[in-house]
Amino acid sequence: MADNTSDDHFEPDDSVDEVHTFDGKLIRRIARYLAPYTGYVVLALVLTLGASVLGPLRPWLVQKAIDNYIVVGDLEGLRWVILFLMLALVGEGLLSFVENYLTQWIGQQAIYDLRTTLFRHVENQSLSYFDHTPVGRIITRTTSDVEALSDAFSSGLVTALGDLFKLFFIAYFMFTLNWMLAVVTLLVMPLMVGVTVWFRRNVRKQYRETRKQMARLNSFIQEHVTGMHIVQLFGREAEEKRRFEDINDDHRAAHLRTIFYYAIFWPSIEFISSVALAAVLWFGGFRALGGSALTLGVLVAFIQYARQFFRPIRDLSNKYDTLQRAMAGAERVFGVLDTRASLDAPDAPVELKGIQGTIEFENVWFAYEEDTEGTPDWVLKDVSFKVEPGETAALVGATGAGKSTVMNVLLRFYEIQKGRILVDGHDIRDLRLQDLREHIGLIPQDVFLFSGSVRRNLTLDNPDVDEALMRRAAKMVQADGLIQRLPDGYDQDVKERGSSLSRGQRQLLAFVRALLYDPDVMVLDEATSSVDTETEALIQQALERVTEGRTTLAIAHRLSTIQDADKILVMHKGEIRERGTHQELLAADGLYRKLYDLQYAEQSPGGAWEKNEPTDERVQA
Amino acid sequence: MGPLSRLNHFFWEYKYLFVPGLLFTMVSAGFQITVPMVVRQAVDSIPRFVRLYTLYADTPAQAELYTYFVVALLLFAGGIILLSATSGLFMFLMRQTVVVASRHIEYDLRNDLYAHLQRLSSTFYQEYATGDVITRATDDIEKVRRYIGPAIMYVTRSLVMVLVAASAMFVISPTLTLYALLPLPLLAGAVFFMARMVHRRSDRLQQQYSALTSRVQEALSGIRVLKAYTREAAEAEAFDDESRAYRARNLDLAWVESAWRPSFLLLVGVSTVIVVWVGGRLVTEGAITIGNIAEYIIYINMMTWPVASLGFVITMIQRASASVQRLQRIQDRTPEIADGPQTDASIKTLEGRIAFRDVWYQYADEEAPALRGVSFELPADGTLAVVGRTGAGKSTLVRMIPRLLDPDAGTVTIDGHDLRTLPLETVRRHMGYVPQDVFLFSDTVANNIAFGDLDAHRDEIRRAAAEADLLDNVRDFPEGFDTYVGERGITLSGGQKQRTSIARALIRNPRILIFDDSLSAVDTATERNILRSLRQRQGSHTLVIVSHRLSAVQEADLILVMEQGAVVQRGTHEELVAQDGLYADLHEKQLLEEEIQAL
Repeated sequence: MADNTSDDHFEPDDSVDEVHTFDGKLIRRIARYLAPYTGYVVLALVLTLGASVLGPLRPWLVQKAIDNYIVVGDLEGLRWVILFLMLALVGEGLLSFVENYLTQWIGQQAIYDLRTTLFRHVENQSLSYFDHTPVGRIITRTTSDVEALSDAFSSGLVTALGDLFKLFFIAYFMFTLNWMLAVVTLLVMPLMVGVTVWFRRNVRKQYRETRKQMARLNSFIQEHVTGMHIVQLFGREAEEKRRFEDINDDHRAAHLRTIFYYAIFWPSIEFISSVALAAVLWFGGFRALGGSALTLGVLVAFIQYARQFFRPIRDLSNKYDTLQRAMAGAERVFGVLDTRASLDAPDAPVELKGIQGTIEFENVWFAYEEDTEGTPDWVLKDVSFKVEPGETAALVGATGAGKSTVMNVLLRFYEIQKGRILVDGHDIRDLRLQDLREHIGLIPQDVFLFSGSVRRNLTLDNPDVDEALMRRAAKMVQADGLIQRLPDGYDQDVKERGSSLSRGQRQLLAFVRALLYDPDVMVLDEATSSVDTETEALIQQALERVTEGRTTLAIAHRLSTIQDADKILVMHKGEIRERGTHQELLAADGLYRKLYDLQYAEQSPGGAWEKNEPTDERVQA
Repeated sequence: MGPLSRLNHFFWEYKYLFVPGLLFTMVSAGFQITVPMVVRQAVDSIPRFVRLYTLYADTPAQAELYTYFVVALLLFAGGIILLSATSGLFMFLMRQTVVVASRHIEYDLRNDLYAHLQRLSSTFYQEYATGDVITRATDDIEKVRRYIGPAIMYVTRSLVMVLVAASAMFVISPTLTLYALLPLPLLAGAVFFMARMVHRRSDRLQQQYSALTSRVQEALSGIRVLKAYTREAAEAEAFDDESRAYRARNLDLAWVESAWRPSFLLLVGVSTVIVVWVGGRLVTEGAITIGNIAEYIIYINMMTWPVASLGFVITMIQRASASVQRLQRIQDRTPEIADGPQTDASIKTLEGRIAFRDVWYQYADEEAPALRGVSFELPADGTLAVVGRTGAGKSTLVRMIPRLLDPDAGTVTIDGHDLRTLPLETVRRHMGYVPQDVFLFSDTVANNIAFGDLDAHRDEIRRAAAEADLLDNVRDFPEGFDTYVGERGITLSGGQKQRTSIARALIRNPRILIFDDSLSAVDTATERNILRSLRQRQGSHTLVIVSHRLSAVQEADLILVMEQGAVVQRGTHEELVAQDGLYADLHEKQLLEEEIQAL
């Protein structure tokens, strides 16, 4: 009755469509997550066993009460039986409460372990994994698929065994009381099982159908709410309404069929219980005439047993479905855990403690993807350059020239295919990833902001960054004043993706973020000049502060950065075409000259046109 | 009842289901209640039979008695079976009427909601998140349905059961009845409180689930930042915290749910124990029979679920009431852009002469106006081009023409009529609009193209595709025009999508054709092809084109250069190039760009 059905809109849930055989390997793997809680599992089993005895014990006690005391009028004795009855009742209640909670608790622990393991696993995959896997899918894996497994962990084994115990004890007590009546009562059992199985099978089919129809409805509404302006512009209201009604009608039809099965099932169960009751009365009476020792108490007890044994049967058949869903979920979750796309860690990492800051690319070739024939689609072609400690190198070039890629491979977000990248003479593949990234600060062009406060976005929840450090870094690039002016200062909520801040302001935050770690090398993708003049000035000064005394590699959009650069690398179509200082390159009157006219001339007074440069999404960190 | 009274007309509408349904409910309950009476008769008769039978042992009467008893036993058994069969039949009919009716009403509610959604304009869709609308169309309507169907069914059934069973019990023994029924109100109360606890806790669980999901979502979207700053471990710990909180919420809920069945069992069990105890004493006093005890035990078992369901029903009604209000908030919205009393319904055709007179517009959530006093005139069959940087107001301007927005001040006229006096249907029927953000439906390519022209033949679709330079692509698709696009089919490239969107506009042969930066994702050669086919059509439509690329606008009759919502330059390409202004700068830059690209 807890309706925590979490509809995920990320991808259609096809789990219910899969028919799963319960494969042993999968179950063993699931069981491994329960291993740490073996003691609790055993305890839960013991409790279940206790509760399963106490339930069927009660009608047996009622029989004793009637035959031994009520019939003979022994009120004193009756009091004792009543006491036992109460004890059995309270005992069963308590045991099943503790057992229920305990199994849920075990399930939640195991799920927690699995979920956090899964998250760590995913997080440590290399970026190429994220380029190829839709975020929505990963979210589904870590949330709803794991969720499906919780049923297997919690209610699965223990409760299923409990139901079996219960069936066994009901049968046991019936046979002890009167084996002939027991046989008669159990005769309706196949009927009960038959109806339940029939019902389950049909309802499962219908359930799938209703889920499918629900998904159709959902995606229709989703699509039409998103594209409502198109529907309206193209005057399709009547037609779309008709189509919606069709889908809605199918949805209704699926539900009406489900209602039908329920309408048959419940009365049938009621009816079969009554048949068992009638059989007990008829056969019991008949036997009594034959002189057998059938007492009233036994009759009353059997009336109760006839009603009691249906529940475990129904619960067991329910469990089958949830377990199947859990298996499907497990398979997908383990599928993710089995994917390994993390970068190889070096066997003997070179220890880095503070670096000089020499960066060198040696004949680097890199491709994000291969084309259909398997030939790499080179984005960097034989790129070589060297930046000495403290130097500033500017990368310039048109969109798609490969500038951002240079940064991506330097930070080892991607593995290069040919050549070497050296930091202080060490191949970056010989360094620990963490060392490499800690010493190289990245300032991306468009800053990814997490929801939450400005503070959170600056410190990234790093406890080593204290208030003073943060303020100092912010002051250094004069972002402090800007942040103070926000209504809530450092506690200002940046809203989804920082929509409440301008692009320039966001980049200033990125400067602060990078400075907090005091990196030896700064890698910087300048924002295109779409900022207001005030922020522009702030960024200008921030730039000077940040590059001071640091090796800097910058994708330059600002004339000042370029003029101050020790060397300029002109990239075009994945290659370095020209290199030199600003004056040298201008004098050469080549590609640089044209790029300069296009991109930077406007920064001199008079020009104001800005080009809407589509930024490569790969660098939009 | 409050908000729920708005649903009352549905009961009237489906009275042919509700009236018999409620009758069936009562009949079914009535028959079910008589079963225990037969049981009591049987239980009490059997010892009497046995006594008589042994009394007449070894007499000829015994054989006769035997036959008589066997028949009597068969009658008892048959009676029980017959009664529960009848009760079952009516229970079946009850579900087939009342629950079915609730599904019909759900269907109606959802159709009404969707029809209303289609009438609402963009301001509504800016205000409500898509997920929010979906929730209303699914969850909220489902909650309302539960009130209409199951809740009403349970209440009726419970009342009938409790009333009939209690009176039957009362006749037998008022004392025993009072004692036996004592725990039942407690049961209803307990169910109500626990159901409320479960709902509250599962709401909190849901919230934490969303928090968990957003945490993953954010971490994955910002994975580059995390990696660049080596924050993976810290993020994993933060995720641990969220998971821990989620586990705690789950266990909060598990606590109540674990207590659920045991308390149910306990309360029902106590009733049974009371029956045995108090009943036992009454039997020894000779006030009742042992058969009565059996009867009582069955009654109590029968009544527990109906009584418990009363506890559920209260929560169901509360939830339904909240959902009705949420639905009503959408239903009560009046569409802002719609035909009104000033509409001149006689206008069926458009020529395509467009004029803006001092048009102002401001989006609700923005500080500065998007349009500041824009005026221009464009003759029918003319071509207008709008250029300017992002955010200059170009899209806002063109969105006024098909009346996706109404101006705050000033007027937009077509053929001299204020747009607000033209029937919306007429305006839209003669408009071909290619929006900036391409939106295609997950349907076939052909159906997407024919979206605005239902009766289009395959030939016309083909022609439109050819004009949009899409035909070659379509030939390469696995099933040609019948290829599905989107999730269920192939993923189109940005350019292919854009050209499909263009074909969709062209097939309508519109009087006014609007391109809102619709050639941004195609290369220059394709752009040239599309522009050529547009030119061949020239004379048959008015063209409004927004573009970043000047090559697309050079031949326009009038070019507007916009900045910060205002028109800062206007004229033809030649005139504007000659002026020393933004347009000339842009032109120069683009020439250079082409040169670099060619290197």
